[in-house]
Amino acid sequence: MYQFSKDLYADVRIEEIYELWLGVKNGELDSDGMVRERGAMIRVFDGKMWYTSTTNKLDEIQKELDNLAALATPNPDIMNHPQVKKLEVHTEEVIRFDGERDVRNITRAQWKALLDSYIDDCIDKSITEMGIWFVGTSCSHKKKSFYSSKGAHIEQDMQECSIAMWCGFTVDGVTTYGGKGYVELEPSKLYGHEEEIIKERDRYLDFARHAVQAEPGVYTCVLAPCVTAMFAHESFGHKSEADYMLNDKTLQEEWVMGKKVGSEKVFFCDDGSMMNHGYTPYDDEGSKAKKVWLMKDGVLTGRLHDAKSAMTLEEDLTGNCRAQSYSHFPMVRMTNTYMAAGTDDPEQMIKEVKDGIYVYMVQHGSGLATFTMKPSICYRIRDGKLCEPLRVNVLTGSVFETLFEIDAVGTDFEMFNAYTCGKNGQSAPVSAGGPSIRVKKLTVN
Amino acid sequence: MREKFRFEQTISRVEYKESILHSFHRSNAIESSFRVYKDGKVGIHYQVGEMSDEEGYALAVENLKERPRPYPFELETGKRSRDKTEREVTDKELMDIAKECMNYLCDKYPRFRYSARFEQEKSVHMRTNEKGMEYANTDCAISISVGYKHMDSKDILDGSFNFSLRDFDIDVFTKMADNYLANYEKAVELPEEVIIDTQYYGLLGALDSHLNGENIALKTSLLTDKIGKQVFSEEFTLLHDVSDEECWFNCFWDGDGCVIERDKQVFIDKGVVLSGYADKKSAKKYNIPHTKNAYRTFSDIPGAGGLNLRIARSNKTVKELLDGRYCVIPVICGGGGFEDNGDYTMPVQSAFLSDGEKILGKLPPFTIVSSMFDMFGKDFIGVGADNPIYNDKQILFRVRKSDIL
Repeated sequence: MYQFSKDLYADVRIEEIYELWLGVKNGELDSDGMVRERGAMIRVFDGKMWYTSTTNKLDEIQKELDNLAALATPNPDIMNHPQVKKLEVHTEEVIRFDGERDVRNITRAQWKALLDSYIDDCIDKSITEMGIWFVGTSCSHKKKSFYSSKGAHIEQDMQECSIAMWCGFTVDGVTTYGGKGYVELEPSKLYGHEEEIIKERDRYLDFARHAVQAEPGVYTCVLAPCVTAMFAHESFGHKSEADYMLNDKTLQEEWVMGKKVGSEKVFFCDDGSMMNHGYTPYDDEGSKAKKVWLMKDGVLTGRLHDAKSAMTLEEDLTGNCRAQSYSHFPMVRMTNTYMAAGTDDPEQMIKEVKDGIYVYMVQHGSGLATFTMKPSICYRIRDGKLCEPLRVNVLTGSVFETLFEIDAVGTDFEMFNAYTCGKNGQSAPVSAGGPSIRVKKLTVN
Repeated sequence: MREKFRFEQTISRVEYKESILHSFHRSNAIESSFRVYKDGKVGIHYQVGEMSDEEGYALAVENLKERPRPYPFELETGKRSRDKTEREVTDKELMDIAKECMNYLCDKYPRFRYSARFEQEKSVHMRTNEKGMEYANTDCAISISVGYKHMDSKDILDGSFNFSLRDFDIDVFTKMADNYLANYEKAVELPEEVIIDTQYYGLLGALDSHLNGENIALKTSLLTDKIGKQVFSEEFTLLHDVSDEECWFNCFWDGDGCVIERDKQVFIDKGVVLSGYADKKSAKKYNIPHTKNAYRTFSDIPGAGGLNLRIARSNKTVKELLDGRYCVIPVICGGGGFEDNGDYTMPVQSAFLSDGEKILGKLPPFTIVSSMFDMFGKDFIGVGADNPIYNDKQILFRVRKSDIL
């Protein structure tokens, strides 16, 4: 289809994007938009550096390829360059979201009806503390085509859709915001969550009415599955991204395969083939998704790669080279990352804590050597029982220590789709999962 | 009535990863929003890439029939063109700038590895309508971002510095690099009195939210019932300023097409909250003053927002404001933030000690404890008249330090 220079490696990634969103705030339509967009990233590699461009003029891709090739230095041996040799060559069409499953075939009226049904069922205007509320739905569909000068041609699609509700409950002049949202790959799964949303709404209302400020300190914490999910992503997941350590002996030695870095109960995995929010059947270098065990029994067993890191560290590709969109250069990213289920009874985990904190929900986190998580709802644990709701500003821990502090891993594993990861200025849809876990020491502020 | 927004952007970017030249990237983007207004409704067609006016407006008319969105307001009019461009470099010049900067870093500070981005962006925003509006805003700047990691560090990143310039000057780069890296390996202790010296944009998000006229009207703002009252320090004045020279690529009109007088709108004057902000829609809905603050959107109708908030500068330099005291430069901090009641807690993973001009050494991690009312109130020291550390405005305020690490 495209004429590639024989002395250079090149690839072309074309994306067709469809997005729609609708939102109602306090009973009035607040947002109502739709976007269709097409664009391409063109990359040329001469063995030393990449030359790239993006364009919305898909009929000028060949011209862009030729312009970039003119900037690069011809390299007759380019196909033997170890990074180029690493790149996989697949020819496959992976279209999962067609027909009724395709969000593009759902009319705005159908989305509006979905929205209205949740408003009718979940918004209770008799709650006097509820000063503000919002219910929104959105969907996006992306079709990607990938061509490389090594002969790869991949057609694949991804999509997501969501329904979310949040409220602001004002008690004594302070407004607490909270709610619940669902991100799914198929629209049919957005139906039937009313009870769970109402339950969550009422939990936030109770929290707004009764929560007390936590005393700063070091506590034994039991993390709910959705909190473990973020913990998995932030505390360890980012350290498994191999692009951070390519020429860095200190990090390579710190994260050497076979090293014990956590409790024997800890197993971490990343798998882009799972039908979750990080679903990436082929990555943006054309590599096929693989299930990668990052840690087993607390021992490092794998890490995530693009072609460059796999070449440098002499490991296999994992299908983790992802870009936010056609206008971004791909880099090593997580996909669907989780801590595997254990054998401990989640209720028993709480019963065994004399004085601690149950972290029910978190808003966001960060993941350097010190990882952080900002909880939205916590509860005090006293003598093995959940007590009053607690406001906790931030949880922190050292990744080098905390993984050893996990002394219980529950059976109640869940995956959570409503995550977006930010790295180096690019956001990427990911999912994260895990069971309830107990951490002997976390810092609470 | 027809109206059109247009955005043209050209980006050239050189990236280094682990101190090695990684890529050169160039992109040209064009976006348009074709809008057709009739009987208090608007139809919108958002286009990425070129499209003729004829086709764009035809699709907007179609959208008006299928999905009419309420917009019961008069269109604005006016003529103004602003071009902030000082210097535009070629791709080769950008490559040379990147190489010169990286050579400086790698030669002078070889015990670090660098991930760096050198990017020139030129953008043109335009808004025209059949009522006679002709607005255009052009800006061009080079933005440099350098992440550094010490060779002995077990972390994946030890810090970063970044800045933008409309006329690139290598001396600004070397001065900033020297300041951040020369004393990196010198460990120092946190002083008893902790004064934070930081760029303030990330701190103003809470005030932005609580100044939203809708939140004030719905009583979901902490500033509800505080309009006209002295809430913050007498030294603290907060304004929306679309001519702020250290804001990049921002327009002088808002999402409704409104332009404010003298490009400035004060919301907090010497600690007194004057008013919240509102766009046309929320001003009408809640019967509050229309302060001409609507965010701009190409694909939807505007809503309240889009502020370029700045804190008025003191006439004293940062060093004069410190008056002999030391300050703390947070380099990596995240994961915390403002609470619903305005309290603020932020773990600081990496920070430096400074005298207000020079960085003196690296501090141990700690956690900031403050509140929106304290940092802009009793603990507010000021925003210096100069830009010594960040090549940008910097706020000074006292905080408490959590003893729990």
